[in-house]
Amino acid sequence: MSTTSNKDWKKIAKASGLTIPDAVLERMAHTLDALEADFRPLARALPPEVEPALAFRANPEAAE
Amino acid sequence: MTLLETAAALRRRDVSSVELTNAALQRIERLNPSTNAMQTVMAGAARERAKQADQDLARGEGRGPLHGIPIAVKDLFFTKGVRTTGGSNLFADHVPGYDATVVEWLSTGGAILVGKTGMHELAYGITSSNPHFGAIKNPWDRDRIPGGSSGGSGAAVAAGMVSMAMGSDTGGSVRIPASFCGVVGLKPTYGRVSRFGAMPLGFSLDHMGPLTRSVRDAGAVLNVIAGYDPRDETSSRRPVENYVPGVEPSIRGLRIGMPENFYFESLDPDVDSAVRAAFHAAASLGAEIVPVTVPDIAAINTVARLILLAEASALLEPHLERRDRIGADVLALLDQGRLLPATDYINAQRLRRAMQREFAALWSRVDCLFTPTTPITAPRIGETTVAVSGQNEDVRLAATRLVRAINPLGLPAVSIPCGADRRGLPIGLQIVGPPFAEALILRVSQALLPAEVPVPKL
Repeated sequence: MSTTSNKDWKKIAKASGLTIPDAVLERMAHTLDALEADFRPLARALPPEVEPALAFRANPEAAE
Repeated sequence: MTLLETAAALRRRDVSSVELTNAALQRIERLNPSTNAMQTVMAGAARERAKQADQDLARGEGRGPLHGIPIAVKDLFFTKGVRTTGGSNLFADHVPGYDATVVEWLSTGGAILVGKTGMHELAYGITSSNPHFGAIKNPWDRDRIPGGSSGGSGAAVAAGMVSMAMGSDTGGSVRIPASFCGVVGLKPTYGRVSRFGAMPLGFSLDHMGPLTRSVRDAGAVLNVIAGYDPRDETSSRRPVENYVPGVEPSIRGLRIGMPENFYFESLDPDVDSAVRAAFHAAASLGAEIVPVTVPDIAAINTVARLILLAEASALLEPHLERRDRIGADVLALLDQGRLLPATDYINAQRLRRAMQREFAALWSRVDCLFTPTTPITAPRIGETTVAVSGQNEDVRLAATRLVRAINPLGLPAVSIPCGADRRGLPIGLQIVGPPFAEALILRVSQALLPAEVPVPKL
């Protein structure tokens, strides 16, 4: 499957305030916006074993 | 000698665990400089445990089929007191305080952990050319990759360092090295084997499974590691069964699906003919070959890639401030995942559910599916593109093209060797079954591959 995107990833990255250096995404710009600043400390504190509630089961019909 | 044959010799006291462990450590010492399969060797602890295993056996206290057998695990399984890096500089000094469930259960089953195998950085790739710990080499041709991300496990088993090494499979990472290294690689059903204590990459896609040199050995290992684990939320409560097939099992009357779309498009001709020969072999054993049209695998691959990009980036985002400690290929993927909107991830999970239902309909028509594991044999180290059917294809996309879709579907799949290409490089056959049909796909595998696979001269 091949698709073409009309998204401007550089702008999306910029808008998301990602810390991707300019050298990687045509020298992307500034980090952190207000939304990221609120969310980042919470996400950073999550231990890796905490999983999303959205659990997938290979055989949902079977009572397991 | 297979793992099960070695276990029988141990019980007869024809050989001791100390002798087996010393032999494994000597082989690692001799071959690791040229293969880099092992990242951490646990010689002292292994010898101590082997001594204990022999003493237990002398008292008639065998712990099971793995008692006294040297094994290895991929360096993403937590090992209490032993460094666990995940192939990453980020975790170069990480020493867990507990064992992964798989490690714990293997240990309880008496296995002797001799070392931890190298891997693609963070399990996020298929070359196992690790920028921090060095490139892992394919024992069949040390200029070529072993596949990945469980490349060290594939190489260690293929080189005869150990008869079993554990791997993990998020988008083909057990089956690809099995294919490239000419060994058996089993990815069980999602939920069959606990993920607890294995460094995650994609929460909803990660599967743990063994690589071995015989089909029966893979079943014997699954007997030990399968089962409900309350520490893994997605662990299945479904009862386990005996997964070791008979020595010469019958597959008469089994319906084997032969995909008419997708899976035989754009293959190396040697792969194509070897896998088609496997259908003939199955038919000669009495199986019924059923041509089938499979659901849109390319679409499932797309969904799987999107889910993985989002999950891996979410998981590793806290570490992305230390960009200089992450290799370029992995960093690029982690950056891509951060650019995806949350709505894409949710919709990918919705699509996944729909595709699961669509795929489930297939199992009313066939008992299992044969496909090539990889469209190519092992590429050279450093190659980024390969020519397949006259078209250049990204190595990573080519290697994962036929295996990735099975992960979001959660289905059990095994890769077994089914021949060699014109250069003598192994070719893999993938056998996919319905949920929790591990015993069936191993039975079919054993019928086609009743003997232990050879170890290359090294």
